[in-house]
Amino acid sequence: MIKIDSLTFQYPQTSQPALKNISLEIPSGSLTLVTGPTGSGKSTFLRCLNGLVPHFSGGTITGELQIFGHDPISEGTETISARVGFVFQEPEAQFLFDVVEDEIVFSLENAGMPREQMHVRVNQAIRQMGLEGIRNRNIHEISGGEKQKLAIASALVNLPDMLVLDEPTSQLDPASAKDLMTYITRLKRDLGLTVVVSEHRLERLLPFVDFIAYLTPDHTLHFGTPQEVLPEMAQVPPLIKIAKEMKITPLPLRVDDFPEYEYPAILREKGFPKSAPKQAQNPVLEINKLSASLGKQQVLDQVDLQLYPGEVLTLVGTNGAGKTTLLRSILGLIPSDGERYLLGEKMGAMDLENIIHQIGYLPQNPNDLLFAETVLDELQFTLKNHQKSMSDEALTVFLSKFGLAEMQNRYPRDLSVGERQRTALAAITVHKPGILLLDEPTRGMDYNAKRKLTNLLRDWRTKGKSILLVTHDVEFAAGLADRVLIIEHGKVRFTGSPGAAFSEFPGFETQTARLFPHSGWITAEDCLSQLKSEINLSKSPDQQS
Amino acid sequence: MTASLPWILWLAANLALLLSTRNPIYLLLNLTGLFLTGNMLAQKRTQTSWVQQNLRFLLTMILLSTLINTLFSHTGATVLFSLPETWPLVGGDITLESMVYGAINGVIIGALYLTFNILNLALSIKQIIRLIPRAFYPAAMIVTVALTFFPSIQERAREIKEAQMIRGSKMKKVTDWLPILIPLLVTSLERAFLLSESMTSRGFHAHQESRHSRLAIVGLTLAAFCIFSGWVFTMYDYPKWVTFCLFGVGGSFFLILLILLGRQTRVTHFHQESWHIKDILGTVLFSSSLIVFIALRLSNQLESLSYSPYMALSPPTFQWGCLLFCASSLFPIFLKSND
Amino acid sequence: MKHHYGSNLINLLVFILGFLSLVAPFVLPQARSQLSSGASFPIMVSLILVLCLVIILLEIQTSSLDSKMIAFLGMLIAINAGLRFLENAIPGPAGFSPVFFLIILTGYFFGSQIGFLTGAMTMFVSGLITGGVGTWLPGQMITAGWVGQSAALISWLVKNLKLQGKTGEIILLAAFGAGWGLLYGVVMNLWFWPYLASNTSQSWVQGAAFIENVQHYSAYYLATSVVWDITRAVANVLMMSLMARPVLKILARFKNRFRFTHSAGRNL
Repeated sequence: MIKIDSLTFQYPQTSQPALKNISLEIPSGSLTLVTGPTGSGKSTFLRCLNGLVPHFSGGTITGELQIFGHDPISEGTETISARVGFVFQEPEAQFLFDVVEDEIVFSLENAGMPREQMHVRVNQAIRQMGLEGIRNRNIHEISGGEKQKLAIASALVNLPDMLVLDEPTSQLDPASAKDLMTYITRLKRDLGLTVVVSEHRLERLLPFVDFIAYLTPDHTLHFGTPQEVLPEMAQVPPLIKIAKEMKITPLPLRVDDFPEYEYPAILREKGFPKSAPKQAQNPVLEINKLSASLGKQQVLDQVDLQLYPGEVLTLVGTNGAGKTTLLRSILGLIPSDGERYLLGEKMGAMDLENIIHQIGYLPQNPNDLLFAETVLDELQFTLKNHQKSMSDEALTVFLSKFGLAEMQNRYPRDLSVGERQRTALAAITVHKPGILLLDEPTRGMDYNAKRKLTNLLRDWRTKGKSILLVTHDVEFAAGLADRVLIIEHGKVRFTGSPGAAFSEFPGFETQTARLFPHSGWITAEDCLSQLKSEINLSKSPDQQS
Repeated sequence: MTASLPWILWLAANLALLLSTRNPIYLLLNLTGLFLTGNMLAQKRTQTSWVQQNLRFLLTMILLSTLINTLFSHTGATVLFSLPETWPLVGGDITLESMVYGAINGVIIGALYLTFNILNLALSIKQIIRLIPRAFYPAAMIVTVALTFFPSIQERAREIKEAQMIRGSKMKKVTDWLPILIPLLVTSLERAFLLSESMTSRGFHAHQESRHSRLAIVGLTLAAFCIFSGWVFTMYDYPKWVTFCLFGVGGSFFLILLILLGRQTRVTHFHQESWHIKDILGTVLFSSSLIVFIALRLSNQLESLSYSPYMALSPPTFQWGCLLFCASSLFPIFLKSND
Repeated sequence: MKHHYGSNLINLLVFILGFLSLVAPFVLPQARSQLSSGASFPIMVSLILVLCLVIILLEIQTSSLDSKMIAFLGMLIAINAGLRFLENAIPGPAGFSPVFFLIILTGYFFGSQIGFLTGAMTMFVSGLITGGVGTWLPGQMITAGWVGQSAALISWLVKNLKLQGKTGEIILLAAFGAGWGLLYGVVMNLWFWPYLASNTSQSWVQGAAFIENVQHYSAYYLATSVVWDITRAVANVLMMSLMARPVLKILARFKNRFRFTHSAGRNL
């Protein structure tokens, strides 16, 4: 049982408290979701639960905190770390060793446990998380989902009372995320573990959740069952948004709980909208039968791709399907077989310099690009590389499109996550390339930031730019894509309209598509706008259910 | 022979030999054994050019050493030619004896290098880290972290480099490293922070300063001074028992304190090294070899070990027993584990 | 970082020990008589060095290392070891070593103990990775450690001359890098030289012996490594002047987060 009373915490050398007057009670054996926009204090709150705040971070704290009878504030991290297991957001950053088994055993070795006892605990943890097959494998070689399971196993060996997870699925694709949550729920059920998870992508967690702790930007807390808290929340998954609009109570937490929906007669007659594929002009980017290998393994097999002007082409696939490799092959960074054409010219014969005049590339981690003193300097750096120049005033105007005009003289590392990403975006588009490649731009971003990014990309599209978007975030892609390419094991599985891609392929269905099969709706906006317009047209009174 | 202890003993035995002799016959025999053993291990690790690479290094070493000694040392009976005396330092006779002396030096250095190189081949990195005494557990942790993250940092550096290249950065001047180093540094340090949170969450305790550790360190310093003075005294020809005492007291004190400090960390180890018959054989063989060698040496039974080409070049002597000691460098071949 | 008088004393004693071992070949011609029987002289030097290293490491461990510092140093050293790889891979002039400028900056910013650790551990880890664990590793570790340790002196200088943030700071650091570029070679050769030292079986006159030894050593140094060392010094100056400012800025951001803190209690 976790009891928190009037908890207030402020990091050293900051002017505002990170947590203000938090009070709640979490019953044992429950699964609590902690959510809220970026900067609301979720990470800080989680770290209070195992003593990292304030003992590791410094700072000042007041209030009462009781974790299964212990007080982390006065006791320190050593006693609490045995009772509370913690899993971090970035899988790689939490591992010390390179072999799975060594990692699991680390906390036991630190506790000076005798060898026979260690064997028992280790085997148990491995069994609980289904890691028998990879027990002696190198950590660098296992998948993201397996890494997070390993992180949980490393915590389970201590036989903790509680498991705290900080955005555990943010780097995982939908299938691995679901798998992980299934394991976690099983642990909760079989071991009576209390689980506290923070997450942005609520749709992944809602089916499993007992309580929600919602932290708002002004640092207040709403705590209660999903039915109590969801109505208060501004940003909710499509399922909830639609249910709210259609006034369905109680709010369904999973797709299966959504009541059978009788499509209104008018829609059944008129048919449903589907997004049409773009008209065939000459493609700006054309890839024919591209194959590539990394080392001995073949990663891409005869991939065909066309990117037309003024469209957003979304590349979806599970992690490891070869999406990033495809981007790198297109740019010529790794050798490949097959033909690549940029604006009709063979790319194999072009200098990298000429290729990049036309292309902007945003890597998975936009922080990889930022190194200069100010935002303006970042832009100037790119311009200089392309032997172009722009006046400071022109740059300010350019930056205002990204909402960064006031920050042009700030040190990029001081900005927030979303601002940093937009800085990187500005830095790679300042030389006005016609084609944009984006690799997983929505990692760790809340709904707000995603919305801003969507608007920015839509704006570019109207200006005629072509965008190749690589992502496994189907909800985000559904709101933006003109065409979709699904890649599986290095082969193209499907090319075509988003309506088909996001409703007919398991693993890539959006929530809306699952709610309303055969409707062609893939986002909540599709559904709601259609409903509203058709409802008004037909003036039918039978929608007040 | 896969366990660490027999290999450490082999190293000690070989070092003891190499450091006790200048006899070219023994040295060459030992070298041959080293090359054979090294080749066997390198084949296991599919490093086919090990012998060539190290042969080249050895020859370079011998050449360099010969050159230096010949140019700067002008003693010896057999004069090959003379440089004018007025030339600073190099002026004087160039003698055959100093060439031979230089060559022998080079052989010793090369053999020392090879011995350690072979140890690196024989033991895995994990085994080497396990050998670090417990008193250094935090430092060993640093090594572990560095080794674990080394490949992912390289990978990250590559990703950053590619991203910056696409942005137009050309990698020509040194300044072009800055767009790679800075993001790499920041990302790695952010990760380091997460990593340390992860370590703390799993019960890793930092060493707290205590009066005991302070005292122990002072004690260690004193012990080191003991050993140092013992060494100085040997050079000034003090009676042997004085130096023995100093070495003995200093050495044992040092080791005891180190062990006590190690006890402060209550860390246990999950993995046990598995020992085969060949490991036991190796341990017995090399430890006894070491002990016998030292005993014979101290009782001055092994005159043929010391050899000097000065003043006039003369052929070296040898004793059959010594040949056996020299050949011990290739015994690991017979103890090769089949896997 | 905390500094007791006790720890300073120990550091001093150990430094003296190491220094004496270094200069013994010059000052103790009696060492010569040993040489006909083998190379035990330089091995004793290595042994004393290892003892010094042990003591310094233990001292630093107990006073400055917590999990934050361990993770921080682990990462930094992984980066530095990677740079050392570049040193071998880049077809630059021999001796161009990008490793030192990070060691100097870390010592400059975080203090002598962390600086020493950075230098020593970089050498150890890159030795492990390249399979180059050998008899000269203790020498490399201590010398690189001294580079980092002495960088803390620059920080004292900069504070007193109030040069933070100004070009003067960078100039001092670059000059320091240049100095150590040469000095590192000098010191490293001192470890190595006794192995190669010539000998005669003549007896020596005390005074003359010292000077002659120094002459011999200088000649050896000039002949073999001065080119390396000048390149190294140039490399240090280059890297320092170009990269010190941004790197320092980053270290400053992280300094507070990685500070060694004791358990915090209730307060406000």
